[in-house]
Amino acid sequence: MKKNTFYLLIGCIALALIAILWYSIETLQPLLIEAAFIVGIVLVYLARRRVEDLIEDERSVKITEKAALRTFQVFWVIFFAFSIGAVMEILHVPEFPRLLHPERPPEILPPRLMGYIQLGLLCLMIFLYVGFRIYYARKYGEWETDEE
Amino acid sequence: MKNKIKVYRAMHDLTQEDLAIKIGVTRQTILAIEKGRYVPSLDLAFKIARHFGVNIEEIFFYGEEPIRPRPGD
Repeated sequence: MKKNTFYLLIGCIALALIAILWYSIETLQPLLIEAAFIVGIVLVYLARRRVEDLIEDERSVKITEKAALRTFQVFWVIFFAFSIGAVMEILHVPEFPRLLHPERPPEILPPRLMGYIQLGLLCLMIFLYVGFRIYYARKYGEWETDEE
Repeated sequence: MKNKIKVYRAMHDLTQEDLAIKIGVTRQTILAIEKGRYVPSLDLAFKIARHFGVNIEEIFFYGEEPIRPRPGD
């Protein structure tokens, strides 16, 4: 399989997944998109093994590694900072004396909202990764042009 | 880290694409190495040097010029 065919196939799988996501939302079948996502990823890996052109070398691996490491370094701080607050709220004991503001009710985030915020943070991680990937790709000459 | 890959390519009449295919990397990697944007691993540096049939110090060096071994060395 040629490199461009592989990228075209990835595009087709992504479009199919969006369509299935839409359908599973409409019909309230979360298992459908979950199964489709796993099948899609397996298809991508199988197709990748059949690519004859070179699509990865040590420079691209280094770009991926650096972007992933930086994403993790930033993300875990944000995620942990929020999650530790969430844990504190879960473990909150209302009987503790509220000396500073006794009139104010305790601020407790509903668990569902905590989940949504964590989901949002995971989406932020994807954007962080894309940003770092672009930065390191530029740094290591991904879009350099030459006179040749 | 500087290098003379471009010079050796010209001497062997190779394009970046040709060299990339022969040593198993992408053309962008050869371009990035030539422009000094990416420092190759020791493994890749040896592959490039071996492809041109020279010592690694002939192609990759710090400073302006490679240190050439003296005839008696």
